[in-house]
Amino acid sequence: MNQILTSRVLVVFLFISTFIVQAQVSFDIKVSKKRLGLNERLRVDFVMNENGDNFNPPSFKGFQVVSGPQQAVSRSWVNGMQSFSKTYTYFLTPKLKGKITLDQAQITINREVYKTSPVIIEVTEAVEKPNDPNNIDYITDENIKLVAEISNSNPYLNEGISVVYKLYFRNPISISDVQELESPGYGDFWSHLIKVGQVRVNNKGQYNGESYNEVVWRKVVLYPQKTGKLNLEPLTLNLSLTVPSSRRDLFGRRIMTQGQKTISAGRRVINVKPLPEKNQPAGFTGAVGQFDFDVILDKDALKATESFQATLKVRGNGNLKLFKLPKINVPNTLEVYEPEHKENVKIKLSGMGGTVEDTYTIVPKYQGRYPIPAVEFLYFDPKTKSYKSVRSQDLLVDVFDGPIAGDAQEVAANLTKQLVQASDTAFRFILLDTKLSPIKTPSFWKSKLFWILLVLPILLLLFTFLFKRFVLGRSEDSASKKQREAQYLARKYLSSAKKAFHDQVAFYEALERALHNYLKAKLKIETIELSKDKIESLLLDKKVKAQTALDFVSVIENCELARYAPGRSVSVKRDYEKASSIIASIDRQL
Amino acid sequence: MAILMMNFLFASAQDSSEKLFIEGNTAYNDGDFAKAVSFYEQTLEEGQHSAALYFNLGNAFYRLNNVAESIYYFEKANQLDPDNEDLNINSAFAQNMTIDAIEAIPKSQLVQIQQSIFSLFSLSVWSKITIIWIWLFVLFFLAYLFLKATQLKRIFFFISLLSLILFMITFPITFSVDQQQKNTQYAILFSSRADIWSEPNQRGEIQFVLHEGTKIQLLESLEEWNKIRIANGSEGWIKNANFRSLTD
Repeated sequence: MNQILTSRVLVVFLFISTFIVQAQVSFDIKVSKKRLGLNERLRVDFVMNENGDNFNPPSFKGFQVVSGPQQAVSRSWVNGMQSFSKTYTYFLTPKLKGKITLDQAQITINREVYKTSPVIIEVTEAVEKPNDPNNIDYITDENIKLVAEISNSNPYLNEGISVVYKLYFRNPISISDVQELESPGYGDFWSHLIKVGQVRVNNKGQYNGESYNEVVWRKVVLYPQKTGKLNLEPLTLNLSLTVPSSRRDLFGRRIMTQGQKTISAGRRVINVKPLPEKNQPAGFTGAVGQFDFDVILDKDALKATESFQATLKVRGNGNLKLFKLPKINVPNTLEVYEPEHKENVKIKLSGMGGTVEDTYTIVPKYQGRYPIPAVEFLYFDPKTKSYKSVRSQDLLVDVFDGPIAGDAQEVAANLTKQLVQASDTAFRFILLDTKLSPIKTPSFWKSKLFWILLVLPILLLLFTFLFKRFVLGRSEDSASKKQREAQYLARKYLSSAKKAFHDQVAFYEALERALHNYLKAKLKIETIELSKDKIESLLLDKKVKAQTALDFVSVIENCELARYAPGRSVSVKRDYEKASSIIASIDRQL
Repeated sequence: MAILMMNFLFASAQDSSEKLFIEGNTAYNDGDFAKAVSFYEQTLEEGQHSAALYFNLGNAFYRLNNVAESIYYFEKANQLDPDNEDLNINSAFAQNMTIDAIEAIPKSQLVQIQQSIFSLFSLSVWSKITIIWIWLFVLFFLAYLFLKATQLKRIFFFISLLSLILFMITFPITFSVDQQQKNTQYAILFSSRADIWSEPNQRGEIQFVLHEGTKIQLLESLEEWNKIRIANGSEGWIKNANFRSLTD
């Protein structure tokens, strides 16, 4: 019974004690730093205060385990209190930049699984001097160099530069493995990696005047695409080294130890100069280098509607892939198709070299001779620091056997009708016969002669008119003059009668009145009754011929007769003429 | 005596010019186009010209692949002899060589009629016709004044009136032909490439680009800039351009 009790107590005790122990178990992760450079090392300790099994380290993704795990166990009794600690230690080097999470580690202690909390480590770019006081570093620093050789750190825009990364090492170090931790990107550059192929060690390399083993790790050709200060990111390598340690073996030889070393080079600033603005020719398309340019035609004589090719070819060294070729300009009646672009460029450390071509297919529609004007290719030569221009030759294409240029409809008509084209569509020969005339013929228009010839006839007309009016008029015999006056008078008086030609009665009335009025005016007598006898005597008084006086009276008589006996056949016209002639003769005689 | 001398001199000049022309033709036929050009140009320097001379010069320059010169002389020949078929054919060949294709804006019917009337005769012929009409008017009018026979008088009066009307038509036509010739100055572009700007300064924009051999109309000028118009009606300013005027 007692035994059972004690055993029970023991069990309880044990249970309690395990409980106590369990309460005290700790399993922690400790890192040497939370922020480190790419070329630095990180020490990670997993510490527990109770022995456990099945230690499961985290995956260490993003890190490389340089050494470890190393176990360390310590036990101590202080004042009867037992303390225990067990540590797993790892040395890590980061593989990439950025925030890396160290996962949880696991361990089973007393059948319970314990886990650490994850830790975030920030990895920055490689620092200048890794402050890891590892002994290897001091030796390696002395004997390993990574160098980035830049051909020109002050190039022009689009001028090619090369970067060669070289690794130098010398005794007593030997390198067993190289890993590239960080490959530089070349953001503002057009870049091309030149394949190095197998890594070859050159035993006769020189660095700062000392002999080293030299390994060319990488070759890059860069064409800056931006001006200003451009950053080159560094290349970071992780090297597995064999380094002699200070310890010696039984035979006095140094014991070699394995070591890891992270090394970086090539953090450089490239200062890219812009191309000079001054004298920059219009039509410059950004070619930088040394070039030769030509335009090549595959044929220079062909039939219309056949095709020929014009190739614009640039050969040389420079940014061949990075500029546009100039355009070709051809006469408007040639049909030009979009060019075919061909590149045959080899990229060497010295830059791009080779040829770039644009091939235009051209179809002439009409016959004739077509000049292909010279094409100008402009480039900047960084060696002479000046713009240069290469002109192709003037070329000529002779097109025969085709329709002549001109009306498109005419051509179409000819094509549809299948007319045999006569030779009149050919280029005509010169004219052999000519009548030359002086170029500077004085203009007749508005010349003095012109004005004279214009004004002369008008003046002539005017003078003749005046001459006729005054000179001829004056010298005329007075008879004719008087006659004209009489005619004028007769016309004046008889005009009213003339108006009434159609109406016999009205005519004779008017005629009689006219004759009376005439006589009154002529003989200056007032309105008194004029009888026929009185008229006759008056006229005779004025020494008018008797016959004329009689005639005058007879006309008046006729008038009266006609008035009072209408219907009698009379000649209105004859009476009118008679009246006017009598008036004229009286006039002459008075 | 003096007139006789003058006549003689003129005749001899004419002879030597014709000799040069013939020598030019021979050189052309031998294929020595540069030499032909120099002979023809000597003829021009002697102050003599003809449509055939300009035509031959154009041909020689065409053979030498000088587009602008060729077109220039074909245009000159066209001024003297617009309806020559040989000229029109060879001119089309020369036009083929130019870079620019410019479509002429179609003229309205009214303008076409006006142009066809204006181009019936040259200016000097128009002015001579004007003079002839005024003389006819005056002579017939005088005849009308002095003649006694009524029938003839009437006919002459009618003729003189008709002449006067015709004079009143031809005189303004001659006047506007002259004005038109003075206002429309054409030239041929000799620069291989010329930018046409929207303003007579380089702050404006480049509107289009012309190449040699293009016929341009000169509108106005400001310092080294010239305002031009091309056949499709586009206008712009050209700087320091090398062109040769067709009217001199």
